[in-house]
Amino acid sequence: MSATTSETAAPTPSSLSPGARKDLRRSLREAERRAQELHSGRSGYWFLLPFAVVFLVFLVWPILYGIWMSLTDRTLIGTEPGFVGLANFIEAFGDAQVWQTLWQTVLFTIGSTIPLVLIAMVMALLVFTGLPGQWLWRFAFFASFLLPVAVVTQVWAWMYQPDLGLFNTWLGALGFEPVGWLTDENWAMIAIIAATVWWTVGFNFLLYLAALQAIPEHLYEAAAIDGAGAWRRLFSITIPQLGRTTWLVLALQLLASLKVFDQIYLLTAGGPNGSTRSILLYIYDTGFVNYRLGYASAISYIFFALIVILSLTRFFGGRKEA
Amino acid sequence: MTLNSALRSPGSGARGPSRRSVLQGALGAGTLLTAGALSSCAGSVASATSSGTLVRIWDLLGGSDGQIMGEIVDGVREELPDITIDRTTLAWGAPYYTKLAMASTGGRAPEAAVMHLSRLIGYAPGGLLEPFDIDMLEQVGIKESDFPAALWERALFQDQLYALPLDTHPFITFYNPAIAEPAGLLNPDGTLAEIDSPDALLDAGRAMAEVTGAQGFSYGYLSDPAQGWRMFWGLYGQTGADYEFTPGKPVGFDDGAAVEVLEFMQSMLDGTVAASNSDYGGAIANFSTEQTGLIFSGVWEKTSLQGSIPDLGGATVPIIFGTPTAFGDSHSYVLPRQLVANPERREATYEVLAAILKRGLRWADAGHIPSLVPVVESPEYQDLVPQRNYAQAAEWIFLDPPVWFAGSGSDFQNRMCQAMQTALQGLGTAQDAVDTMIGEMNTFLETPAPA
Repeated sequence: MSATTSETAAPTPSSLSPGARKDLRRSLREAERRAQELHSGRSGYWFLLPFAVVFLVFLVWPILYGIWMSLTDRTLIGTEPGFVGLANFIEAFGDAQVWQTLWQTVLFTIGSTIPLVLIAMVMALLVFTGLPGQWLWRFAFFASFLLPVAVVTQVWAWMYQPDLGLFNTWLGALGFEPVGWLTDENWAMIAIIAATVWWTVGFNFLLYLAALQAIPEHLYEAAAIDGAGAWRRLFSITIPQLGRTTWLVLALQLLASLKVFDQIYLLTAGGPNGSTRSILLYIYDTGFVNYRLGYASAISYIFFALIVILSLTRFFGGRKEA
Repeated sequence: MTLNSALRSPGSGARGPSRRSVLQGALGAGTLLTAGALSSCAGSVASATSSGTLVRIWDLLGGSDGQIMGEIVDGVREELPDITIDRTTLAWGAPYYTKLAMASTGGRAPEAAVMHLSRLIGYAPGGLLEPFDIDMLEQVGIKESDFPAALWERALFQDQLYALPLDTHPFITFYNPAIAEPAGLLNPDGTLAEIDSPDALLDAGRAMAEVTGAQGFSYGYLSDPAQGWRMFWGLYGQTGADYEFTPGKPVGFDDGAAVEVLEFMQSMLDGTVAASNSDYGGAIANFSTEQTGLIFSGVWEKTSLQGSIPDLGGATVPIIFGTPTAFGDSHSYVLPRQLVANPERREATYEVLAAILKRGLRWADAGHIPSLVPVVESPEYQDLVPQRNYAQAAEWIFLDPPVWFAGSGSDFQNRMCQAMQTALQGLGTAQDAVDTMIGEMNTFLETPAPA
C-alpha cells in the first residue's frame, strides 16, 4: 500500500538491473495516476447509479408527487383532480379524527417504547450474568422477532379470544371476570402493546447484549479491586457504558412505534370505537378505503413533518451526546 | 517478495481490460438481458390470447362458493370453446375494492368483475364502470323481466344498467332440526314455525337453550366488521322506519326505532338465548357442535354448515317488527373501465356472463339465491332444501343505504359495528351506541364524496 504512494520511501533492492528499475518506476507512476483518478471520483458515479435510480424513482419522486397530491382533491375513483391549494391541510388541522388518531399513536409509542427498552435491557442483563444455557435464552428471547406479523396477530388473537382464549381461561380459574381484551375500549390498546412488546423486544435485546459484550473487562476488575459490589458495578459501570446503545435503541424504537400499522390492522382494525386507530390506519382508511387520496396525502405530510422534527431533535441531541 | 508483487500488479492490470470497462460492459449486458426478459414476457401474454378471445374475470369468492364458481366456469369453458376465461379470485373485503378501483383508474381492469350491488353507488358516478348494453344482453338471452324488480332497480344508475346481478345473499337463520323439533319450533312439514314478535323470538331461544343445555342461538359479532350491522340494519328495516342519507346533510334516522332494535339485540345476548360475547368463528363452532340450535348467518355458510349438520334447515330472519325485510346484498358483475376496450372481448364477456347466470341452479348449491327468477321458480330449485325455505328473502332484500360510503366491505359498516359492540357486550346503553352511530353517520355525510 504505502509502496505505491512514495517511490523514495520504498527500499530499492540492489539486485535490480537498470532496466527493471525503469519498469518499476513506470508502474509506480501508472498506479499513482489510477489512484488519483479513483480519488477524483468520476468513476464512483457508476457505482452510485443503480442506487441513485432506485432512490429517485421510488423515494424522491413519490415524495414530490405526494406533496402535489396533497394540494389536489384527487380520489382513487375517477373524476379529474383539481388543485385545491391548502384546503386539505386546513381540513386536516380541523379534523378531530386526525388529532384523536395522532394522540393514540403517541400513546402507543410511549406505552410500547418504555417497556421495549427496559425489558430488553433487563433480559440482556439476565442473560449476560451467565445463566446456564446461554444459547437457549438468546434463542428464546430473539425467536419471536423472527415471526411474521400475521402469525403473531393470529396467535395473540386466539389468546385474547373472549370465550376460549388462554388469558380469560386463566382469569376464570383465578375467579376474575373475563376481560374483552380486544373488544373493550379500556383494554384494547394495552392488549396491542403487550403483543407488540412480546413480538419485537428480541431485537432490542440483541442490541443490548452486543453492547454488554463490548464493555471492557478491566473496568469491572478495577472496580472489584476497589471493592465495588455487584449492584454498584451495574449502576456505575454497566448502565452508563450502555448509554449510547440506549440512545440508539430509543431512537429506533420511537420511529418504529410511530409507524405502527400491521398489528393493529390485523388485531382490531382500529376498533373498538376507534380506540386503537393509529394515524397510519386513518391515512390508509381515508386513502384506500374511502378513496380520498389528496386528503390522505395531506395528513401523511403533517405526520411526516412531525417525524422529521422528532428525528432532528434526536440528531442534535445525539450529537451533543457524542 | 510482497513488495514486488504489489508493484507489479497495477502494471499488469493496465495491459488487460480495465475494471471500469468490465463493469460498464456488465451493466450494458444486464440492460440487454432485462430488456430481453421483458420482451419475452410480452410475447407469452400475446400467445395466451391468440388461443381464443380472452375474458378476464375478477371475483371475491374465496370460500366454498368459490369452488362451485370454479366448476361453473369450467362448464362455461366447455360451452364456449372459442373463449379463454381467465378467472382471478382475490380476498374479499375492503382491499378487494381498492384493487378494483386502482385497476379501473389505471384503465387496465379485467373485462368483468364481481361487485357487491350495495357498492355500485360509490363507483358508477366516478366513471370507473361501463354500463351494460341492454340490447346485447337480450341477444345473449338476459332480460329485465327475469330479475326481481327491486334488484334490477338497484342495479341502475341514471337509468342505465351498471351491474348484472348474479344472486342475492341475505342474512338468514339456519337451524338444527334435531334441536328445533324437541323445542317445539317446527311445523309438521319440518319448516321453522312462524315467529312474529321479539318476545316470541326470545322464547324460542330459551326453548332451544333448554334442549341444548347451553344457549339457544348462535350469533357472532365480536370484532367483526359486518355481523353487527347485518342484523341491526335488517331489523331496522323491519320496523318500517325511514332513513335518508344525503351527502352534505345531517342523516335522517329514526333514533327511537334504532334504540328499540338495539335493545332487542341486547336482550337476546343474555347468555341463555345467545352467548353475550361470540365472534364469527365461535358462533359457527357452537352451532356445528350442537351447543346451539339456530344461527344467524349468511346464506354463504350453507355448504360448510351442512358438513357438520347434514339435515340443516334454513329460514329467513323472523319478521318480528312487522315489515318483511331481509338484510342482504347481491354479487353482481360489472364492466370496469378499460382504456382500450376491445369490442370482440366485450361481446365475449356478455356471452360468458350470460352463461354463468344461466347456471344459477348450480350456483344455488353455494347457498346463494340465483338472481334469475325462472331459475328460482323451476321445479329443480324448489326441490333444494334448505334453499327453497329461505328463497323468499330475495324479494325482501334490504340493502345498505344507497350512499357512496356504505355497502359490503366498507369502512362505514365496520364503524357501525364498532359503535354497537360496546352496547351488545352489555358495557353501554343502546341509546349511547345509537348516538355514536348517528355521529359517525354525520361525519361520513360531511366528508366530500370521492366522485
